[in-house]
Amino acid sequence: MMKTNIGRRNFLKQSGATLFYGALITRAQTPPSERIRVAHVGTGGMGGAHINAFSAMPDVETVALCDVDSTRLAASAQRLVQRKPTAKPQTYADYRRILERKDIDVVTCATPDHWHALVAIHAFEAGKDVYGEKPLSYSLREGQRMEQTQRRTGAVFQLGTQIHAGDNYHRVAEIIQSGVLGKIGTVRLWKTGGSRGFGFPANQRPPDTLDWNMWLGPAPYAEYTPVRCHGTFRYFFDYSGGVFADFWCHIADILFMSLQPEGLTTIDARGEVPGDGIADTPKWIDADFAFKGLNVHWTTKPPPVPGADKMSIGAHFEGEKGTLTCDYETRKIRIGKEVLDDLPNVPVTLPRSPGHHRNFLDAVKSRGVPESNLPYVRKMTLPMHLALASFRLKRKITWDSVKEEVVGDPAANYLLDRVNRNNVQVEP
Amino acid sequence: MTVFRPVMWCLVAATTAFGAADGAFAPLFNGKELSGWMMPTGKPPAFAVADGILETRVPNGSDIFTTAWYGNYVLRFEYLLSKVGNSGVLIRCDPKNPWGTGVEVQLLAPWTPHRDDLHCTGSLYGYVAVTNRPDETTGIWHRMEIRCDRNTVEVSVDGKLTTRADTLAVKALNAKLLSGAIGFQSNHSKQGEFAQFRKIELRDLDREPDYVLAGFSHADERFRVQAREAAVALGPVMIVPLVRTMEGESVMARSVARQALFDITAAASAPQADAAVRDAASRALREALDTKPSAPTAGYVTWLLGMLRK
Repeated sequence: MMKTNIGRRNFLKQSGATLFYGALITRAQTPPSERIRVAHVGTGGMGGAHINAFSAMPDVETVALCDVDSTRLAASAQRLVQRKPTAKPQTYADYRRILERKDIDVVTCATPDHWHALVAIHAFEAGKDVYGEKPLSYSLREGQRMEQTQRRTGAVFQLGTQIHAGDNYHRVAEIIQSGVLGKIGTVRLWKTGGSRGFGFPANQRPPDTLDWNMWLGPAPYAEYTPVRCHGTFRYFFDYSGGVFADFWCHIADILFMSLQPEGLTTIDARGEVPGDGIADTPKWIDADFAFKGLNVHWTTKPPPVPGADKMSIGAHFEGEKGTLTCDYETRKIRIGKEVLDDLPNVPVTLPRSPGHHRNFLDAVKSRGVPESNLPYVRKMTLPMHLALASFRLKRKITWDSVKEEVVGDPAANYLLDRVNRNNVQVEP
Repeated sequence: MTVFRPVMWCLVAATTAFGAADGAFAPLFNGKELSGWMMPTGKPPAFAVADGILETRVPNGSDIFTTAWYGNYVLRFEYLLSKVGNSGVLIRCDPKNPWGTGVEVQLLAPWTPHRDDLHCTGSLYGYVAVTNRPDETTGIWHRMEIRCDRNTVEVSVDGKLTTRADTLAVKALNAKLLSGAIGFQSNHSKQGEFAQFRKIELRDLDREPDYVLAGFSHADERFRVQAREAAVALGPVMIVPLVRTMEGESVMARSVARQALFDITAAASAPQADAAVRDAASRALREALDTKPSAPTAGYVTWLLGMLRK
């Protein structure tokens, strides 16, 4: 199985040069041998966005869709065929059947967080490349295992942090890296709005169209209630880490893209769980991170810096000579009394992305390293897991960034991993 | 005979738990000095102790507050007002802003001008009137009991209920603290007048497991959170009752119990936590597993146990 796939990838790589010209001429009719055959696991939410984005690429053939909810699965297949009448997707309830297919190159994964690592690891093992969703994984240790497996199998992985690909983040990184603001000693990150509790609904029988046991997968068994499932699963620690885990990757991305912070030593988080329902992820969370030479502060309320109160998400860089405040699309540079949108003297040094999906597909063909590659996003996601552990334990934790272990607090290390529920077969 | 048996059992249980029926009350004032109390600086100290009595005589001096904060409790004490004595009891207040954050239960001699039911002894001053005006005779000792039971505040004088308030139903009270210091107001009438207090005792309901658990299904979120925090403060002793609550009917109570179990285990797992607390938590979690809870609960408890492994 592996052999066949690597063979297919090599063919794609070798044909890369001709493909470029070929694409110019016959964009809509990429020869079958140069097409990337994509399967989508998880078709709701971001899964639908993946299906749309990839199926719109001229060199992509959408061959398989998978969902544990047969209603969603059928709807996504119907939507795809409406958009692209030539598409003939096969539908699956179990992603492992997709991984058995030798004709599939790429698997995208938009399952709830607690399935991210398993789907990716199994796909790597089966010789597939993976476009995943954020956060990278449910637990910190899963992220490590994903990276180990990727290294061993040589798979290409991109995390779906599509804001990364935009011009604004590239420009912010160029300005910060140019040194024009001086040494950056503090970065403030925020995302307003916390997790709600979603009331106290009684448990009920899962709908016949949903394989609840498979949906739970590696997570602890829980009785079904709709709040735990589609759309709101992320507000439960059993499956995710709330608004914080939802948005950390998007805004911490600009910090890591600009400064590549190293040597994280302490993480101290505070906050509250919601009291108005069964969900248990932070109603608010503030966290302080001490990196080598850099303090990073996450808050649920905007920090007291100019302009932040009008931004629902943002990053604020404090340098010796000035500050830069940005979100996904905008930036404001403050030097002395001047407020600027750009500094034309800072040269354009970072190559721009052709788009996050395109960048990934190009890497699939070239066997290259995409922009939101696994080692990068794992480093970026790691502080998020530590902040959630600190939040839950209500105490500061000390991190050994070389050994990647919490120092002197076994319970904190314990929370960085989870033993998968064993009545679902999740090992390949 | 059989009809009375449950009642008898309750009495036995109460006696065992507290040594004696009234053992649930602990003195807040030792009758000798003011340990456990504080008078904020800025005004002359108005309270002094003599012969087991706490007396306020200095006009418009400093009020006095417990250093500890209490949420739900029964406070009882005896008071004596001079002819024109004027004092009060502050409940659930922050001493930095007692009237803004808490409520005053009035203690007032019936001097002219005559004060109405909203401002007389036993009223929640200015918020809730007495419905049963107490004996206001000055110069003799009266007994007052104040019961803060989540959203219900009751005041009794000499064994008779005078006032009953639902703090959720009175908008101005709804915004007050749910827990705080207990205070006595300095006498603030003429020179030579005074108020005296003795036998100040408190039954802290937030230290009673059954009372705490009952708060888990309170309709108001803030009281559920208060009950959860009380359960966490009680520590490992709550683990078995909490696991039992997770097996109960109320989704609300199950959810609060689940979080409380996590918080108790997390606190016990802290590197600086007392080894005895850690061991007690481990033992209690194992004991809870021995009660054979349902699979999801057992899975959760087993997972929590992992947090306490060295």
